[in-house]
Amino acid sequence: MRDPNNQLHVIKNLKIAVNNIITHPPQPGAIRKLLNDVVSVSQPAEGLVANVITAGDYDLNISDRSVKASVPWYNNWKDTLMELNTSTFYSATTPWFESYRESFLQSMPASDHEFLNHYVACMLVVSSGETEPVEQFLKLSQEQHRIQHSSEYAYPKWFTPNTLKYYVLLHDVSAGEEQRADSVYEEMKQRYGTQGCYLLKINSRGSNRGADEQIPDPWSQYLQKNSIQNPESYEDGPCTVIANKNADHLISDGLDNDIRVDGLSNNFKAHPLQLDHLSDTSSSFDGTDYIKNTASLHELKKTSSGTPHGTCLTLTDHDRIRQFIQEFTFRGLLPHIEKTIRQLNDQLISRKGLSRSLFSATKKWFSGSKVPEKSINELKNTSGLLYPPEAPELQIRKMADLCFLVQHYELAYSCYHTAKKDFLNDQAMLYAAGALEMAAVSAFLQPGAPRPYPAHYMDTAIQTYRDICKNMILAERCVLLSAEILKSQSKYSDAAALLIRLTSEDSDLRSALLLEQAAHCFINMKGPMVRKFAFHMILAGHRFSKAGQKKHALRCYCQAMQVYKGKGWSLAEDHINFTIGRQSFTLRQLDNAVSAFRHILINDSKQPAAQQGAFLREYLYVYKNVTQLSPDGPLPQLPLPYINSSATRVFFGHDRRPAEGEKQAATHISLDQEYDSESSQQWKELEEQVVTMVNKGILPTNFQPTQYCLNSYSDNSKFPLAVVEEPVTVEVAFRNPLKVPLLLTDLSLLWKFQPKDFSAKHNGETKELACGNDMIGAEVIAEFLINSEETKMARLKLFPHQTGELHILGVVYNLGTSQGTMMLDGIDPSIGLQAGKFVCNGMSVRGRQDLEIQGPRLNNTKEEKTSITYGPDRRLDPIITEEMPLLEVFFINFPTGLLCGEIRKAYVEFVNVSKCPLTALKVVSKHPEFFTFGGNTALLTPLSPSASENCSAYKTVVTDSTSACTALISSASSIDFGVGTGNQAEVIHVPLPDSVLLPGASVQLPMWLHGPDEEGVHEINFLFYYESIKKHSKMCHRVLRHTAVICTSRSLNVQATVCRSNSFEDEGKGDNMLVFVDVENINTSEAGVKEFHIVQVSSNSKHWMLQKAVNVSENKDYKLANRERGKLCFKAVRCKNSGENYTFADIVFGDEQIISSASPCADFFFRSLSCELKRTHTQSNMSQGAAKLSFDKAVRLIQKCSEVDLNIVVLWKAYVVEDNKQLILEGQHHVVLHTLGKEAFSFPQKQGFKKILGNSDWEDLEQESPEMFLLKFFRPENTSVPTRPTPEQLSNLIKTTLHYPESFNHSFNQKSLCLVPVTLLLSNCSQADVDVIIDLRHKTTSPEALEIHGSFTWLGQTQYKLQLKSQEVYSLQLKACFVRTGVYNLGTPRVFAKLADQVTLFETSQQNSMPALIIINNI
Amino acid sequence: TIVAYILRALQNYPLYIRSIPTENELKFHYTVHTSLDVVDEKISAMGKALVDQRELYLGLLYPTEDYKVYGYVTNSKVKFVMVVDSSNTALRDNEIRSMFRKLHNSYTDVMCNPFYNPGDCINSRAFDSMVTSMMMQVC
Repeated sequence: MRDPNNQLHVIKNLKIAVNNIITHPPQPGAIRKLLNDVVSVSQPAEGLVANVITAGDYDLNISDRSVKASVPWYNNWKDTLMELNTSTFYSATTPWFESYRESFLQSMPASDHEFLNHYVACMLVVSSGETEPVEQFLKLSQEQHRIQHSSEYAYPKWFTPNTLKYYVLLHDVSAGEEQRADSVYEEMKQRYGTQGCYLLKINSRGSNRGADEQIPDPWSQYLQKNSIQNPESYEDGPCTVIANKNADHLISDGLDNDIRVDGLSNNFKAHPLQLDHLSDTSSSFDGTDYIKNTASLHELKKTSSGTPHGTCLTLTDHDRIRQFIQEFTFRGLLPHIEKTIRQLNDQLISRKGLSRSLFSATKKWFSGSKVPEKSINELKNTSGLLYPPEAPELQIRKMADLCFLVQHYELAYSCYHTAKKDFLNDQAMLYAAGALEMAAVSAFLQPGAPRPYPAHYMDTAIQTYRDICKNMILAERCVLLSAEILKSQSKYSDAAALLIRLTSEDSDLRSALLLEQAAHCFINMKGPMVRKFAFHMILAGHRFSKAGQKKHALRCYCQAMQVYKGKGWSLAEDHINFTIGRQSFTLRQLDNAVSAFRHILINDSKQPAAQQGAFLREYLYVYKNVTQLSPDGPLPQLPLPYINSSATRVFFGHDRRPAEGEKQAATHISLDQEYDSESSQQWKELEEQVVTMVNKGILPTNFQPTQYCLNSYSDNSKFPLAVVEEPVTVEVAFRNPLKVPLLLTDLSLLWKFQPKDFSAKHNGETKELACGNDMIGAEVIAEFLINSEETKMARLKLFPHQTGELHILGVVYNLGTSQGTMMLDGIDPSIGLQAGKFVCNGMSVRGRQDLEIQGPRLNNTKEEKTSITYGPDRRLDPIITEEMPLLEVFFINFPTGLLCGEIRKAYVEFVNVSKCPLTALKVVSKHPEFFTFGGNTALLTPLSPSASENCSAYKTVVTDSTSACTALISSASSIDFGVGTGNQAEVIHVPLPDSVLLPGASVQLPMWLHGPDEEGVHEINFLFYYESIKKHSKMCHRVLRHTAVICTSRSLNVQATVCRSNSFEDEGKGDNMLVFVDVENINTSEAGVKEFHIVQVSSNSKHWMLQKAVNVSENKDYKLANRERGKLCFKAVRCKNSGENYTFADIVFGDEQIISSASPCADFFFRSLSCELKRTHTQSNMSQGAAKLSFDKAVRLIQKCSEVDLNIVVLWKAYVVEDNKQLILEGQHHVVLHTLGKEAFSFPQKQGFKKILGNSDWEDLEQESPEMFLLKFFRPENTSVPTRPTPEQLSNLIKTTLHYPESFNHSFNQKSLCLVPVTLLLSNCSQADVDVIIDLRHKTTSPEALEIHGSFTWLGQTQYKLQLKSQEVYSLQLKACFVRTGVYNLGTPRVFAKLADQVTLFETSQQNSMPALIIINNI
Repeated sequence: TIVAYILRALQNYPLYIRSIPTENELKFHYTVHTSLDVVDEKISAMGKALVDQRELYLGLLYPTEDYKVYGYVTNSKVKFVMVVDSSNTALRDNEIRSMFRKLHNSYTDVMCNPFYNPGDCINSRAFDSMVTSMMMQVC
């Protein structure tokens, strides 16, 4: 083609759009619907290979085809004009956006201010079958003229007044005569010239014989696309031009460079198919094989019914059609355009000079030299300015458009530019904006791009369209164009800004698409802005959902989710998840919906309560739908509430029976107790002790401590044992993470049971089975409410009725919300309505949660240490064993508070509640001194608790008062009291009658309690051990625990010393000793205890016994008020029988003698004794372990000499006022005297400190002391106690006494020397022979001694050597000689002693005897 | 006036989010999250331009219709983002800068706490009260 300057211009890839002459501008509603449909139909392909974009640290998976450099839609232009076919732009943006854009552009109505949608030429088509084709042509021509020029038809707009008319004679080969057609064509040629007419022959093939030949449907590639665009049904108009009436205004791709060719079909009673082909045939040339078509309604109808098109066309027909279009273009269209351009150009040139000068002159005249372009804002109101269609100002625009259409962009640009200036001068803003827009486009499209793309043109155009002209459609077109151009120039951020700016409230679909495109722009930037992408995706998704494009909305949210997921943006995440959930739900993608909602609920939600409630309800509703779809499927796993599975506890056995009146049940063990590792260790030790004892001192290798309650601390590596018919309670720790309460209903356990007797496996998977099955009964909790953010335990029970293996799998329940009528805020109304229904029904969902407990991490072997392995946890897999007896223990009158040392009588009831007889009942306790069931004499006391209400706990005998102060003697063996037989003292047999407790039987036994000696709260653990009469393989014994809590308060403090008495009153009977007992009332409670009375002091020993009280007060009543201290003195003698039996001697201060050799007094005595022994044993073991070996017999003998094994029992009564009633409490304290001269206390204590320190400090000290022992670093050898006995010990070998007259009268005048006989009594205290040396010589070592002793001398033998047999008393007669009167100390003889059979002499000075003073008087 | 502060660690997890009033929190989350793109951009630009390393204030990140978003980045790449009502004209660049500095100081105090595990959400009463006082002062 030649341009006005006669230069050759090449046109490539020209496309022609052919349309019906009579069309209507599309209705806005129709357009909207059409666009909507286009978008919703176009969806990303399923299962397309995921497209991963890595942006920063994000990997985005974008499954649609939108991608890298989203390629501009104008690739058609590029292809044609700039030969960019081979460019890297290989793929378009998102397909739905493209089809939207296409449809949008096609549905643009032609407007007055531009000519791009106007028709250039008109094809007049007449069938050769017409009787008078030539006349028809005339008619049509007139018709066209009428349509164009009369005001009747407003819509089809024409480019130029003299539209090109092209006459086409259509000949149907199969129907008409060829010759006639040819002749008519000849006639036409004469009339219109060869350039203006054409004969098109089609349908060479019969319509009926096309079945066997497969010819591709020539229209298919166009029809498919367009069929969507014509949803309106076809109406049969009354008009003769049937098709025209209803045909849409259809434009094929590439709006702006399309050339409108109008075919006015003449369809008088024509064959419909023929007509269609005629009127719609169009074709592109240039060998691109494109056959353009705008389908007619008839064909559309066929498309929908599946009929192929063009079956009557042969390949030559196709060629003919192509050739026809080529002819039309070359002969008719292009020359016409060329001519028009030239005309317009001439017009312009001629007009230019005049108008320019005129305009500028007037402008200058009126408004000075203001340049109009820059003052757009002032021109707002001029947008209404309209030029008449043939106005000269429009001519240049017309020319520009034409040039643009024929791809002469350079010329077009200059024309647009000029036009723009003109329009701006005229302040015709709409026109100016159009010109600006097109100027920018043509500048961009110019080959080689001689000038930079004027982006500001576009901006101005958009702004003008939008703000001044208020024409959003034009603005949108402009934005779409501009954005694509910017994208192609990689100016993504500008494009995004442009796209975002156009989003508005008036069209959700447009906004959504634009936002999505903007998001894609962000991610395609050089530095991808992922977060902006995500944010705009969310906005787009929101808009999509508002526009009803649910799938697109879902897709947008899903893509945005990738960015937000797991980054801690919980609110945003929740929002997205919620939206995804709801969209998925409405799209019936229920699984996705469930998982999305699940996410909201299980992530640590920071949402407010109302929001969470809404989420939860919606989740439940969705869930319900899912489960309804598959009612037979397995129960789904529910996410709520959380289960802290490691906190699961399993308890075997019945619940603890609460106390019944006076009866107090054994505490045993229950789920209410907290786990305490220390106490559990204690229990374990106790059980080991008793089992060891039962198995004759050996702990069985397969011993496994009984565990009633399994928790995360217990040893769960072995299968626990449960007993048939006894419940298994599982405590499950639920936690509600939400701020709304959760209601669980019909909560029960899921389990699997395998009876051991049967080989067949029974799976009690569901509750139904459990109910119909009598093997296992399951308890169901009807309602279980967990408040917001609460952790709550649920206790669920199973009742095994058969032996076997039980596996507890999990819990099953209905999850629901508690409020039935809560406001449904924040819910989509449609869903809300449906949800509301369920809320009223108490919406809940049945589901399960499994209990899976991870065992402890193993750390034993090397592999286990280097890897992470976990041991099994069999807490939930108990083995149900055969029947075992079950013991219940009740305590009657069991006190909670005691005074230290108090004796109280209580009763214990043993009940066998099982169906098996029970035997071998034993009790173990760490504190055996605390209680006793009485010895063999126990049966003497009343057996029932009621009979002994106010009786003394002791066995008493009334005494006559005369026998006061002298001891009443009895004896007993320790074996009678179960002590000292070599057994462990801690294990105590319970004296059951017949030693068997039959099923259902109960026995009450008395039990005495002895308040511990230390003040404070004592927890005393009893472990009851019992066995079944039948032996089981699985379970040998059972245990029952009881923890008694006793609070003791201070009572008396007894302190005793023993020393040798110097008197020899009972000579020959052996030696005697003095026992001093200090009793102090250290009770501090002002109100409680009024006073203590010492009622009796008893001794018991194998060798010694109390003989009498020495200093008896007058009233012989020992009363001790608060803080009073009394001292008692007793004389003790060696008793005769020194067998294994203990001699008990009671010294009674009251009216009644308490028989100390009977229960319970003796029991407690022996208990405390054995405890004492143990304590001293351990101590001596520690301190003297090695030294003991080196001790020889001699030393021991010497030591023994100073040892006394006298035990003092102080029995007392306390008068206590309680609730205005006076009570009498009884008690006893024990003092164990070991060594002569050493103080002994009623309970172990460190000297004197206790009075200074507070009690708690004291206890601390005591607790620390044993540890301090262990921390010694000496080796045992080094600490060996001296092999020699200490002087103190040696001094106790021989007891010496001097007998002499206290005063001696002598007449010194008569005789100057005074001789006084003195008897020295020597008594051997040891059990062996002792050599004694008595030296009477004065020591002259100390001057002090000189002074005193120098005045008298011993006469006679000054040294005696004697041997004293064991316990022998020897009297030695001495004489002292005095020379003057005075007071003398006779205690000067030194006595040395050594064991007779000993070679080495342990010679040592004797005790520093008391000064033996003698008064010598002169008469 | 509405103010939201957010602290972020290197991986762009939120450490601390606070806003007054609390109704529209979701919106702020989105806003702040999106603004991180700009922060990233600014940081990378800073690296190239070799600007004063001591300048931690990033300035106005971007204005939206209702809010202005400001940013601040510590040397350890902890990001502070503040969203201020655009109608609040009392807040100039200098005020914002000093607010950020105060925030940074408090944050340093939090980090100095030996019981604070870097990367955990900030749960400090002192920090809370500081932020509250700052917000009150602005409102």
